[in-house]
Amino acid sequence: MNSGMGLSPIIPDHRDGEDTIAKRAHYSPPWADVSIIGVAGSSGSGKTTLSHAIVNSLNLPWVVIMSMDSFYKPLDPESSKKAFRNEYDFDAPEAIDFDELVNCLRDLKAGKRTKIPNYSFEKHARLENSTVIYSPHVLILEGIFALHDPRVLDLMDMRIYCEADADTCLSRRIIRDVRDRGRDVEGCIKQWFAFVKPNFENYVQPQKNVADIIVPRGIENRVAMSMVTQYIERRLLEKSTRHRAALKSLERGYDSEPLSDRVLVLPLTPQLRGMSTIIQDIDTSSEDFVFYFDRLSCLLLELALNNAQFKEHVIETPQGHNYRGLTGKGEVSAVVVLRGGATFEAGLRRIIPDCRTGRVLIQSDVRTGEPELHYLKLPNNINEHDTVLLLDAQMSSGGSALMAVQVLVDHGVPQNRIVFVTYSAGRVGVHRLTKVFPEVTIVVGSMVADFEERWVEKRYFRC
Amino acid sequence: MSDQPAKHSQVGPTQCVGPDYRTESQKPVATVSTEIEYDNVITLPQTPQLIALLTMIRDRNTDRADFIFYSNRIIRLLVEEGLNHLPIVEQTVTTPVGRTYAGLQFQGKICGVSIMRAGESMEQGLRDCCRSVRIGKILIQRDEETSMPKLFYDKLPEDIADRWVLLLDPMFATGGSAIMAVDVLKSRGVPEERILFLNLIASPQGIKNFATQFPKLRVVTAFVDQGLDEKNYIIPGLGDFGDRYYTM
Repeated sequence: MNSGMGLSPIIPDHRDGEDTIAKRAHYSPPWADVSIIGVAGSSGSGKTTLSHAIVNSLNLPWVVIMSMDSFYKPLDPESSKKAFRNEYDFDAPEAIDFDELVNCLRDLKAGKRTKIPNYSFEKHARLENSTVIYSPHVLILEGIFALHDPRVLDLMDMRIYCEADADTCLSRRIIRDVRDRGRDVEGCIKQWFAFVKPNFENYVQPQKNVADIIVPRGIENRVAMSMVTQYIERRLLEKSTRHRAALKSLERGYDSEPLSDRVLVLPLTPQLRGMSTIIQDIDTSSEDFVFYFDRLSCLLLELALNNAQFKEHVIETPQGHNYRGLTGKGEVSAVVVLRGGATFEAGLRRIIPDCRTGRVLIQSDVRTGEPELHYLKLPNNINEHDTVLLLDAQMSSGGSALMAVQVLVDHGVPQNRIVFVTYSAGRVGVHRLTKVFPEVTIVVGSMVADFEERWVEKRYFRC
Repeated sequence: MSDQPAKHSQVGPTQCVGPDYRTESQKPVATVSTEIEYDNVITLPQTPQLIALLTMIRDRNTDRADFIFYSNRIIRLLVEEGLNHLPIVEQTVTTPVGRTYAGLQFQGKICGVSIMRAGESMEQGLRDCCRSVRIGKILIQRDEETSMPKLFYDKLPEDIADRWVLLLDPMFATGGSAIMAVDVLKSRGVPEERILFLNLIASPQGIKNFATQFPKLRVVTAFVDQGLDEKNYIIPGLGDFGDRYYTM
């Protein structure tokens, strides 16, 4: 059973360009190496309640609870009939699809997005739709067998076993199954003595031996709760420190190495200088600022679109002459890095009125400056788009740009289809981005010397 | 392919177009603007994007809505390029983050003058770049008897002699009406060197006519086509711009 699918513990990244692996610097987003916390215990022992309490006390947007209930094996017709008669053993490890679970956890550990199946207790089947999980920093895996499979144990940072009195467990289970899962009381009791109790003795309880902490009395146990949250907080802090240090290390060589030929700076024409003067002048009225910024963003986007893919296209003019021209190869879509990138949207609509537009909210932590991914909504088939314009008003250190590109790459967009467009960029940021993603094209309005705070969006949105 | 009507067999130059970091084989080939030897002519960079826009508006199957939209995109690029040739002075400003920025300020007043009716289609593009710009109009029609262009109407800003003029007409074939329009402007006191003639598609003949008559006037065009047919239509051209924009 363990030899399952023979996956190596490190999942290779298939999206790397063939010839660039050697030169490529590595960037690991903070959600790679997610901390996985396992919460096991008897049915009705309060695992779910404990998990939610941990999430609440952490109060962070990047903590996800994954229930092992999602990983019940889909039942064949015969087992399904048994299940409806309450004769199928859901409380044995065999009912769980551990191979699928291990795949999901490995994907998440590698920082990738993964799909979690949805299991319906009413139908005893997996539903068509699955839930996508992407970029959690902490994942809590809860289920009676959370600590059962050694492959899962290897991926865990902390193993918790919830302990509760058997009477408490049974009564909680009856209430839950009748209220939430559409069962009757007799069926529940039948299941308890036929399956739950023997399985508990054979498989659930032995998990205590591999647990790091055993928590009696669930959330009432304040001491245990604070131990757990403090441990997780410390892990997150370490990770954040490592992330920032990694970002810092990508700076090396920014002032000595020339810019990559994929960095395209808008030619400094008199008009561009004139418009920039108005945009940069602190005394410019908001009305003028928005007008000139929109005008300039059109020029930037026109320049960016030259990096899309075109194919030859011969047409006939109204007079019947042929012209050997070009036409776009596929769809061009955009992803706005909020809030700054939204300043480009007026310009974008002037050029591609119906451009499909995804949104990513990346905020820098006020204290540490570490970029954090808060929100993500991308077009479904973004991996099929010919060109994805990634828009942000400014890039100085490149932290959020790196993160945004990583998000697109994780969603299947090849690097060479990404065009990052920004009004101003610092050398450090451009250097970092091209080091990690050498095939991404960067279109810049003007290069600025060093770190600059995000003033463009403040001026544009007037707050 | 020789399905072109008779005598004009010249073909425009072809070239791989695309960003420099791509190899020749990665770039598609397209017909690009014909080389011109006059240095008062500014042709927009032949980017794949510009070629694709032109392909769109040349195509007889493009409907009016698309024709208008894609023409406007090219017109905005023409206006942006045209404005680069206006006078400027150095100006240093303080930025919102407290830095100084050594920039420039535009000098001199401008106005647009459109040659009716097709030139009026370029007014929106001009306004997109220059809000509340003054726009004069000139109506020139071909005289039925002499078949020479004839001035029917003009309405120009009173102080036009003090302004830079962006003269608008999308199709620059023989330049007959544009020459007459420039003569009108000059008669109102606008010096040749302060006129910029913006057009989408030009013919080598028109450019030559202009260069000899008005050597100091600058022409800004998106594309120089191969030539003219016997009816003085641009080859391959795009048909009647005014009809396609306004009525077809």
